[in-house]
Amino acid sequence: MEHRNDTYYIEQVLQGNINAFSHLVDRHKDKAYNLAFRICGNREEAEEIAQDAFIKAYRSLKNFKKKSSFATWLYRIVYNTAASLVRSRKQRVLALEEFPADAADFLGFSGNEEAAAEDYRNSLINFALQKIPEEDRGLITLYYYDDLDTEEISKITGINKPGIKVRLFRARKKMAEIIVKVEQKNVFYHE
Amino acid sequence: MFFTMNKHEQYEEDLLRKFMNPGKIEKAPEGFTSKTLTRIQIEAQSSGLKKGFFVRNRMPLISAAVIAGFIIIAVFIPSGNTDSSGSAIWQNIRSLEIALPNLSNDYIQNLTLPGWIPYAVTAFLLLGFIDRVLSGFFNRQEK
Repeated sequence: MEHRNDTYYIEQVLQGNINAFSHLVDRHKDKAYNLAFRICGNREEAEEIAQDAFIKAYRSLKNFKKKSSFATWLYRIVYNTAASLVRSRKQRVLALEEFPADAADFLGFSGNEEAAAEDYRNSLINFALQKIPEEDRGLITLYYYDDLDTEEISKITGINKPGIKVRLFRARKKMAEIIVKVEQKNVFYHE
Repeated sequence: MFFTMNKHEQYEEDLLRKFMNPGKIEKAPEGFTSKTLTRIQIEAQSSGLKKGFFVRNRMPLISAAVIAGFIIIAVFIPSGNTDSSGSAIWQNIRSLEIALPNLSNDYIQNLTLPGWIPYAVTAFLLLGFIDRVLSGFFNRQEK
């Protein structure tokens, strides 16, 4: 299969070839979905947000100035859509006790120990993410999962670089505290 | 790393790196691309069939035309004069023998409201009725 860069497919779409947009969706869907999911913490909502973001991108494609990459532009749409959705709903604060005891509790859902441990880690991260502000969830995702630098994160979120460093510092600290607390709770649980 | 970390910060960084890395992203569900494309195609089709200005705004336009018609009739039909182009309409209106009731209540009569108020109220009610009829008619057509 022939792989071309995003600009080629954007030009194709602008010339009226809607199907060319599927290449852009295919290429960026996982990262867009992951960003939406880590911010909102719900798979159904994340799918809706990611789809809406692609549709918004399609509608505004003729206004896309190419000052940044298509991915940066798309992630900005996902970030803003997800953050505003989370802001608009009243979310219940999760208590530490609500997190399942340990990886063994995930064995019922996963086939083997390794998969259970992976599910446990993933759930613990999502749990910790839901306890920090929604904007910071986006920053953490872009920094750790997408491995982006502060300049790129700044373009996506609209937060200046020093602000990103401060927010990442606070979010990292808070998340590490939650992870450690949950893991300590698990130790006491077994004693 | 984009800035220097102390020992504790490095511990937190390592801890989070252990849990989160680019290889562990949540994948979009099956059929995501086709669902998105379907939504885009539906949107593209509906935008292609976008109705023109006059079709989209027919209701207020017709309503405005009717109002303008009433205003023109009111301005050009002289009172009691049947010698104009609107005489037939005027005759018909007069033959209906519509008369506004005389208000016998002294208190109300003593109010210094301008004389055109009862006519304006009647006109508002009439125009409201026309709007309602048009709205009902076009809504039914769209369904």
